[in-house]
Amino acid sequence: MLNNAINKIITNHITPLKNFQNGKFNISGESVIENLELLTIALDASISGIIITDNLQQDNPIVYCNKAFELITGYSRAQIIGHNCRFLQGDDRAQIERDVLKRAVRDGKECKVEIRNYRKNGELFWNELYMSPIKDATGSVTHFIGVQNDVTLRKKAEQDLRQQKSMMEKKVEERTAELRESESFLSSIIETVREGLLVLDPKFYVLSANHHFLSTFKVSAEETVGRHLYELGNHQWDIPVLKELLIKILPTNNPVVDFEVEHDFPHIGKKLMLLNAYRIELEGQFKDQILLAIEDITERKEIERRKDDFLSIASHELKTPLTTIKGYIQILERNIPDNASEKFNKTLGKVASYVDRLNNLIAELLDVSRIQTGNIELHKTSFDFDAMIDEAIEGIRALATHHRILINGRTGAQVIGDESHIIQVINNLLSNAIKYAPDAQEIEVSISKVSDYIKVSVRDFGLGMNSEDKKRVFERFFRSGEIQKRFPGMGIGLYICDQIIKNHGGTLWVESEIGKGSTFSFTIPNNQE
Amino acid sequence: MENKKILICDDDEGIVDVLELILEETGHTIIPELNSLNVKSIIQKTKPDLIILDLWMPVMSGDQILRMIRDDPKTTNLPVIVMSASRDGAEIAAAAGATAYISKPFDFDNVLVVVDSLLN
Repeated sequence: MLNNAINKIITNHITPLKNFQNGKFNISGESVIENLELLTIALDASISGIIITDNLQQDNPIVYCNKAFELITGYSRAQIIGHNCRFLQGDDRAQIERDVLKRAVRDGKECKVEIRNYRKNGELFWNELYMSPIKDATGSVTHFIGVQNDVTLRKKAEQDLRQQKSMMEKKVEERTAELRESESFLSSIIETVREGLLVLDPKFYVLSANHHFLSTFKVSAEETVGRHLYELGNHQWDIPVLKELLIKILPTNNPVVDFEVEHDFPHIGKKLMLLNAYRIELEGQFKDQILLAIEDITERKEIERRKDDFLSIASHELKTPLTTIKGYIQILERNIPDNASEKFNKTLGKVASYVDRLNNLIAELLDVSRIQTGNIELHKTSFDFDAMIDEAIEGIRALATHHRILINGRTGAQVIGDESHIIQVINNLLSNAIKYAPDAQEIEVSISKVSDYIKVSVRDFGLGMNSEDKKRVFERFFRSGEIQKRFPGMGIGLYICDQIIKNHGGTLWVESEIGKGSTFSFTIPNNQE
Repeated sequence: MENKKILICDDDEGIVDVLELILEETGHTIIPELNSLNVKSIIQKTKPDLIILDLWMPVMSGDQILRMIRDDPKTTNLPVIVMSASRDGAEIAAAAGATAYISKPFDFDNVLVVVDSLLN
């Protein structure tokens, strides 16, 4: 049958016959038949499926197939011959490759397609199909030869690769979107903060500036980004102290914190700026970049100053009539009539002591305000600590006639500090000891040198306090609930004491037990020059 | 004790009154003045032996007057006590050339001691 088909082709085509006759296909046999048989065997040995269809018959039936075609498709030769090739596509008819084939058949052209075909058992395989026409002497197509290769594995690898690629692309897209989102989230934070922010490269060139920075200094991004920090504006950031901080502090992994700069800036005038700088240590593309946060504290400082001014003026104005009252009282005290009653004398004495208290309260209020704004000034001098203690206690003794004040120990120290402030602390602790132990007879004051500190303890034998009160006793305006009823006051004395001792580099603390009295102690450094 | 002239200038009438009362018993002549702008002409007219000056006064402050007094060769050595209720009064007074400083509210005895020491 095959021989018939091939013979037919050969008879219809003069040229191949000529080739045969010219000996081109004289492979080993002498006769055409012998050589043809050899060729048939060669075709069967091919791993590519090969078919021949007869274009002159209706519906282009397969007239020849080799062994490999049987293997690839799973069909036997009997099930193949006479069918049109399309039976391999099963129900998978919508493939565009079919149109390519159809056109090639119609036009008598050759073509190459990769088409989904199905084996006999229904399994899909990718068929890489080369189809070429065979024409007779008149040029009309008599046959088509189809050479097929099962490229399923390659196709699968390609598909896997494509799938992986598209998955990767999708992932990259997702990640990029996430990154963009978090980036825009971060930048919207940076743009929103009410603080100027600059990002500098390690050589102090500006990489970015946020909106607040640009609006604060009334500059544009073009004037700022890409320029050197020290060359911005009228070289306004070319400040030697700042330079030193950036060059010396940052490389030690320490941030520059709350550095105040006063400068006459172009466009906005003289401003007080608070600078914070931080160098990125994280490995990666941002390493060694510098974040510079700039806060305009001009107004805040101005408000603090005004508050101080207000309190100064208020206290001055309050003290003025107080001075007059005190003066008149002292005049009265010097002119007490000889026949004045005990009640008169006592009343006058009370008025005098309450005027003094009022005066102290005004002074304390001013102190608190100054301490809070950090404006309290220490006038440090060297003084004899023991003599200072003696003097302070002597002053209190004159007032506290019911209590005996005992002094234990000596320090023999010359201390550098603000003597008037330390006296204020001693006076406060002693007057508290008297106030809160009205029925006790003794107050113990102990002074000693402990390591490189001077320690002072004031012990009373009075009411004592619970642990809750102990924690809060140095807070501003703290008044123990019980004590509030019995002893009037504003509750700022110990707060001021605490601040004064802190300003001297020491600590103030209390040990106390209800009913057993309290011991207030403080230390200050024993600086010896 | 010889009778001396003490000029007191403070914009607060109460304080001037109290100081007058306190210093009355020294037997010295007291010249009270509420308006700091008049101080210069009063000095020229009355030639006081001692001046007590407040710091915070309207129009012309105590330290301004004090500098003026020190700049005039005729009064450059005139004893001047500065009084103030201000926290930094002592520093301002010293910088302006005060002979003594008393903080408000003042102590009766202290005022007498300081005045006495400057007049003798």
